[in-house]
Amino acid sequence: MITFIQFLITGLRLGSVYALIALGYTMVYGIIKLINFAHGDFIMVGGYTLYFTIPIMMKMGLPGWTAVILAVIVCACVGMLVELLAYRPVRKKGTNLTALITAIAMSFVLENLAQAIPAIGPDPRVPYTLFTQTITVGGVSISSATIITIIVSALVMIALFLFTQKTRIGRAMRCVSEDKQAAVLMGINVNRTIITTFAIGAGLAAIAALMYIAQYPKIYTTMGATLGIYAFVAAVLGGIGSLPGAMLGGMVIGIVQSATNTYISSSMSDTFVYLILIIVLMIKPAGILGKNVGEKV
Amino acid sequence: MKKKKLISLFMAMGMALSLAACGSSSSGAAESAATSAASEAAASSAAESAAESAAPSGEFAGTITLGVIGPMTGTLAVYGTHVSNGVELAVEQINAEGGVVLDGKAYELATDTKDDQGDSTECLNAMNALISDGVELVVGSATSGCTSAITSVANSEGVVLITPSGTADALTTEMDYVFRTCFKDSFQGELAAKYAADNGYTKVGIVYCSADTYSAGLRDAFSASCAELGVEVVAEESVATMTDVDYTNQFNKMVSAGAELVFIPFYYDVTGPYLVPQARQAGFTGVLLGCDGVDNTETTIPEGADLSVYNNFYFINHYAEDLAATDVSAAFVSAYKDKYGEAPNNFDALGYDSVLVYKKAMEAAGSSAAADVQAALADTSVVYEVASGKFSFDETGTPIKSGVLMGYSYNDGDTTVTKSSIQALEVE
Amino acid sequence: MRQNKTAQRYLVNFLAVAILLIASVIISVTGGNTIKLKIVPSVWQCCYLIIMAASLNLVLGFLGQLSLGHCGFMAVGAYAAALISLAFQRSGFYDEKSGAAFILVVLISFIAAGLLAAVLGLLVGIPALRLKGDYLAIITLGFGMIIVNLINNIPFCGQQGLSQGAASSALYANGLGFSNDEKMKYMWLGVLAVILCMTVMFMFVRSKYGRIIRAIRDNEIAASASGINVSFYKVMTFAFSAFFAGVAGALYSCCNSALATTSFAFTNGSILNSVFIVVMVVIGGMGSLTGSVVAAIGMFFLNYTIKNGAWVNALPAFLQGIFTYPMLVYSLALIVVIMFRPRGILGTSEFALCDIPQWPSRIKKHFSRKKEVTEKREEGAANE
Repeated sequence: MITFIQFLITGLRLGSVYALIALGYTMVYGIIKLINFAHGDFIMVGGYTLYFTIPIMMKMGLPGWTAVILAVIVCACVGMLVELLAYRPVRKKGTNLTALITAIAMSFVLENLAQAIPAIGPDPRVPYTLFTQTITVGGVSISSATIITIIVSALVMIALFLFTQKTRIGRAMRCVSEDKQAAVLMGINVNRTIITTFAIGAGLAAIAALMYIAQYPKIYTTMGATLGIYAFVAAVLGGIGSLPGAMLGGMVIGIVQSATNTYISSSMSDTFVYLILIIVLMIKPAGILGKNVGEKV
Repeated sequence: MKKKKLISLFMAMGMALSLAACGSSSSGAAESAATSAASEAAASSAAESAAESAAPSGEFAGTITLGVIGPMTGTLAVYGTHVSNGVELAVEQINAEGGVVLDGKAYELATDTKDDQGDSTECLNAMNALISDGVELVVGSATSGCTSAITSVANSEGVVLITPSGTADALTTEMDYVFRTCFKDSFQGELAAKYAADNGYTKVGIVYCSADTYSAGLRDAFSASCAELGVEVVAEESVATMTDVDYTNQFNKMVSAGAELVFIPFYYDVTGPYLVPQARQAGFTGVLLGCDGVDNTETTIPEGADLSVYNNFYFINHYAEDLAATDVSAAFVSAYKDKYGEAPNNFDALGYDSVLVYKKAMEAAGSSAAADVQAALADTSVVYEVASGKFSFDETGTPIKSGVLMGYSYNDGDTTVTKSSIQALEVE
Repeated sequence: MRQNKTAQRYLVNFLAVAILLIASVIISVTGGNTIKLKIVPSVWQCCYLIIMAASLNLVLGFLGQLSLGHCGFMAVGAYAAALISLAFQRSGFYDEKSGAAFILVVLISFIAAGLLAAVLGLLVGIPALRLKGDYLAIITLGFGMIIVNLINNIPFCGQQGLSQGAASSALYANGLGFSNDEKMKYMWLGVLAVILCMTVMFMFVRSKYGRIIRAIRDNEIAASASGINVSFYKVMTFAFSAFFAGVAGALYSCCNSALATTSFAFTNGSILNSVFIVVMVVIGGMGSLTGSVVAAIGMFFLNYTIKNGAWVNALPAFLQGIFTYPMLVYSLALIVVIMFRPRGILGTSEFALCDIPQWPSRIKKHFSRKKEVTEKREEGAANE
């Protein structure tokens, strides 16, 4: 029984991080139908920003997590730059396929660029750990960072939901995602809406970076690659474009990984994660909570 | 339309250029890391300037080029750049002290550094290109996987290869031209098993990575030695990759299997932030025993973390400041700190040692030709005193050296963990 | 007249192939040190890169589906070929790596590697190709990861079996792993494999099937409305392409004296990963097999000379800094190409050797037409 609870907690711990990252993925995909492969690398950018700013914040007497504000700003700028310099010119001319390939290329650009910057380099860095308390109930311990991550994910999800439903920009975003041409006719500035989406998506990556390093305190330049792929799988599994789906998908991936570790074979967790993804996509191609949209001729 | 696109393009290129440019033009630690793979010209000019500062130029009768192969970019970049840092430091020091003296003439050392990106094909390309350019002495590569791709070429083309950190047992056994400066897996595994047996541990566990040659090789050696020494391996768990972040489930199993000691063949980038704290959180209170990859864990312990978890955490190392160290060790550590602004790790030390070994072998042979250097290195009676300790080569080209057991400890009230040597370890 | 021209084209191509083969034999007989150490290994690597790029182009360019797990099939082919050749060696079918028996084993292992990869492609394709676009990309990525993960966990292949150390690599050297001298000796085998594979792929895209899959690419719904069994042709093309990826894997296992699964992983930061192959296809032209050949050779030489050539040293320091990170260069190049030519440099057009004399006039025509178009546009803008 204890093993079961322990594995569940480990699963939640991993899953909460994936869920938070998947929210950013799903947000961008929902609006412009682009798998932003570079999202994982925005987390790397956020991680390094936090690594450099947390000590500064603490010196100023503020709690360490306030550094996330700076990280959000930095990430949002990087996100907007990527959209302006790479995605927008490609989107004008190419298809979904070329946009996807650009996103993959952008992810490699960010990773290698980070290695080329002397202050970052290839050495792994260990940021200041936040939220270190652990709560122990009946022989089972859970770290407060896990609980905070789940709460933050839920809050972010609700905030995003309200934002897209209630605000002007949010409504414009939904409009753009439904039909770009119609949005233009309605007087919506499509480019501005998309760039706002990227800023928000990348800002979310900074928050995800904060929660990630609180649980797994190590950052390195290629950290975004694997992390991004898991989070993306989570987003697809839950139904990409759906905010609750991202949460659910993240948790499922985390728990599947942890269950494979505990009950089957610890070196096979990758296989089972992708197997689950494949099975779900076979049964429900739009993901667990996604809406199946028929194709119009 | 078009103009806008062009502008955005140039902006992007400009950004990339300027960033990469700071990478190559700034000084200090960054410079060596960024440009180490750049070019022979850059490397040799750096060496020249270093030589000029210490000795009058024109003193050298010629140049001996050492090939260096390692992952300078990509996911394994940290290993390659550190090996290269160690090599560059050694070359700089040797040139400043008058170079390599062969037959009364001083020769300058230069390096030709190639990036293999941690890929065996690239590594083979680099090796072939070096041989084709006339390089006869090579240091590389940083991982066992890549090194195994080039050992047979080294042998068949008659080029000496010293791998600073390829630990797989079989790398040197059948290859006369291949040597190494690190431990081999079976040696460390045996030391670890012997430590467990000597200290009365009867139930041990292993957490390792089956997809990594270093980790899996050590695990094989450790469990084989345990079987010989009558130590029972009660649980064995693997992770999928060396960059995995969560080890809690594995240690839950160690606890329920009743392991008193867990063998953890990982690198310091995992043990500090993830493995050790998570093992303690999972309720494992016994001994954690790592190998030389664990050294430098103190640099990856997060600030603000609970330091008491690092008690009862030991590892096997090449040298300690007070045990098995040589005069070279201390000098190396301080010189490295001066040049790069941080403490060296084992990759730095082993890269540094590879050059020192070459220098001694060349001077003993009186030549820098591969066959002569190979003959000198094959002489098992020569004792090398280098940064990672004192050793001589065995018949296969692997150092015979003693290991040192080191451990981390933390006392209430301290601000950091303390790393200290505990005992020298030897195999009969 | 037209038939004459076709005959002439066949003759030119046939001659080119013959010259290529003879040249490879001559090179391998005469070769000096530079040829042995630099040129021959490069040719071998170009061989498998060409086949890889062309086979991915079948799926990406001609069928219009993005597969991110193509290197998974290559990994299967590489391990299968290596193991099969070792099995023959153990059974005493050949002792020395020479003679007819060995060449027979090489051919068998090539074909077996391709077939195994094709079967796997079928298994992956049947479920995966029900999905489209982004979903297909991610599911093929998943399959690629599963393949690598499984190979890692098979005790006699994985990291431990075929890559580690001299004991096992000496063992491996008895099979397909060629030394430099053997690479010289058997270079014609690699060249022949490329020629055969490319011929079959050309015949495929020129055939009825080729037209059908291009119809699917251009409009899937219209294609299925015209009575084309879309899923059948999709899966068939996928398996067909996987076959060649498997053969490329077998060639890969010839050029290396060590096999490691990390070389085939998606996130591997070096030249051989699924992304790099995508880069080749995109730069060469999605839907142009000749484009893939040119791009594969071009990218290989760019990569090779960045690392082993002298020209990088002649660049100013800040450019050298960039070239220290080859993946950065390739990704930027990819973005630039996609920005200006979304379908790749050659687009969907092929080029033939016969047409080379006409190139200058064509290029002139291309630019003059462009000028006209822009002038017209400017006029239009002025009128408005």
